[in-house]
Amino acid sequence: MPAFDATALIQVLIGGIGNGAVYGLVGLGFSLIYRSTGAVNFAQGEWVMLAGMAAAAGFTARWPLPVAAAAALVLVAAVGVLSYQIGVRRLRDPAPLLVTMVSIGIAIFTKGVVMVTLGKNPNGYPGVFGDALVRMGAVSVPAQTLIVIAACLAFVAALHLLFARSRIGLALRASAADADAAALVGIPVRRMVMFSFALAAAAGAVAGLVVTPLTLISYDQGTMLGFKGFSAAMLGGIASPLGAVAGGIVLGALEAVSSYQISSRFKDAVAFILFLLVLFARPHGLFGRRTGERV
Amino acid sequence: MTNRFHRRTVLGGILAAPFVSRANAQAATFKVGTILSVTGPAAFLGEDMRAGVELAVEEINAAGGIGGRKIEWFFYDGESQTQRALNATRRLLSQDKVDAIVGGGSMSGIAVAMAPMCEQAGVPFMSTEGAMSIIEPANERRFSFKSTADDDQVLERLAAWCIKTNQKNVALVADNSGFGQSAVEQMKIVAQRRGLNVTYESFNPADTDLTGQLTRVRASNAQVVVCWTVAPVGVVFLRQARQLGIKGRLVHSYGFVSQRYMDLAGDAVQDLLLLSVKFPVGDQLPASDPVRQPIVDLSGRFQKRYNRVPNQFVGQTYDAMKIVAEALKAGGPDKVKIRDALEKVRGYKGVSGVFNFSAERHSGLGSSDVVLLDWKNGRFNLADYA
Repeated sequence: MPAFDATALIQVLIGGIGNGAVYGLVGLGFSLIYRSTGAVNFAQGEWVMLAGMAAAAGFTARWPLPVAAAAALVLVAAVGVLSYQIGVRRLRDPAPLLVTMVSIGIAIFTKGVVMVTLGKNPNGYPGVFGDALVRMGAVSVPAQTLIVIAACLAFVAALHLLFARSRIGLALRASAADADAAALVGIPVRRMVMFSFALAAAAGAVAGLVVTPLTLISYDQGTMLGFKGFSAAMLGGIASPLGAVAGGIVLGALEAVSSYQISSRFKDAVAFILFLLVLFARPHGLFGRRTGERV
Repeated sequence: MTNRFHRRTVLGGILAAPFVSRANAQAATFKVGTILSVTGPAAFLGEDMRAGVELAVEEINAAGGIGGRKIEWFFYDGESQTQRALNATRRLLSQDKVDAIVGGGSMSGIAVAMAPMCEQAGVPFMSTEGAMSIIEPANERRFSFKSTADDDQVLERLAAWCIKTNQKNVALVADNSGFGQSAVEQMKIVAQRRGLNVTYESFNPADTDLTGQLTRVRASNAQVVVCWTVAPVGVVFLRQARQLGIKGRLVHSYGFVSQRYMDLAGDAVQDLLLLSVKFPVGDQLPASDPVRQPIVDLSGRFQKRYNRVPNQFVGQTYDAMKIVAEALKAGGPDKVKIRDALEKVRGYKGVSGVFNFSAERHSGLGSSDVVLLDWKNGRFNLADYA
């Protein structure tokens, strides 16, 4: 174990929080779909990958980066809507378990289509500020890491405004709280579910777009991103979007600090054990609320 | 179980019947099987590796085959999954009844699992994968050979360079796959023999952040920081090492010698060195180098056939097929004689280096076949020759 070194620890923490912001955005997507359908959407990670791959393909085809990124965002949101239309809406009884199974199918399908159309090689594009570093005293951070964190916070803020201030946000919350009652007062519940698929896909897409300049992306990386995002959502409480984001940041920070302070060899194990301990103590997640069993 | 097996045998018999008669009608052939992964995580290697074998087979057949016998080539996709590759191996051994197997699924883990099956069937196996455990222990791997440089030879070459440049503090940042951990094992032996101080860090190939590991490396004051991975996170390694202001010289293993990775890493590849076979810098080798001409020739033929520049993965499978062809010429179709002939291959000038096999060493390349490269002006360049 290295001697205690505060600057090094801060350096490690910022990297971890940057990673955690990505986990959080992915976890946010899990949470949005869980709230509207009760299902765990295993295609979430593939949407992250799809956004990165699509933007990289646009960039390679010499599109200006903002155009490529915007196109990828729209594409992924559309894929989210399409996934709902094809996979979920047609189910006679969209029970959570069934939707979860369908999402696994969508995940495998998405991965396959990306492999065939966009290829097997890792892809990337430069960040908005290239490889520029921001120096804060003895600590230096890639500008892109700050963009990742900012994008996560901006998305959360926008989502908060949507939920708190807009009619559609109110309708979303109402459908999540009680679909039958919402339908009775005239809220188009199915359209709200579709909308939450689009929002979840957009959350994944933003994560994919900002992280690709840092880590590159290839067609088979979605699964791991999905797994980390799911862990983030479980850690923070999957029923709470804000909790999922906080869970992601905690998870990313835990991973980074344990790889630095304990041993890089046990990094994943340490993060996983802490994760289990948290869930033993708080089964509904760090920020989740205990809900009564509905009988 | 028995029932299913029976049905498959019968079905196989029916399907195989027309082939057998056609094969008998023509001249006899040598059957060579290949398993490489053109899908799954190793797919980025598999396509080029497949092309290497394919080109060798085409050239041999165009030149009239081996002693008048053409090569009948059976290719199966290993799908980067050990179980799939083993099913294909079983098929090559029991159904296609090949005389030799070239290529072990593009992943060391697959090749290690294939070797015992080939041993049991007594079919010569020329692996094109990296791990030493494919061919060790030698007394249990009588039929298994490989066309790639062993990690101990590569690390020996690295150690020689470290000593020559008087940099004895080394950090090895290896991923926790079979590829990375094999290097860690061998490094411990080489470091002790050559008196290097090595610190070790590990990471997961799927990781996206190495700040923790690299902060520790920075504190260790290593003069040479070596990364051992084939995953894209190797680019993260380069960027974060620069970001953290690590002073040590950065080195990547032969697993990262890829133009695509260099392009993606951008400015972060300045001052990077890569351990590699000579293939990527064939045209920069001194004229006296025995493999210069073979590399230049193959590159020309490959570009004409596939319309792209070959990489070292093409080279290692091309060599493998050509060496097996030599052995088939000397010993085929008797499988034990093919095996014996492989052990007698000495001074074979391939495109990956000069191959010397023996009864004790089933891996043909040595540390003199490894060089250090850098990446400047959009291509690999020879940085340290001997």
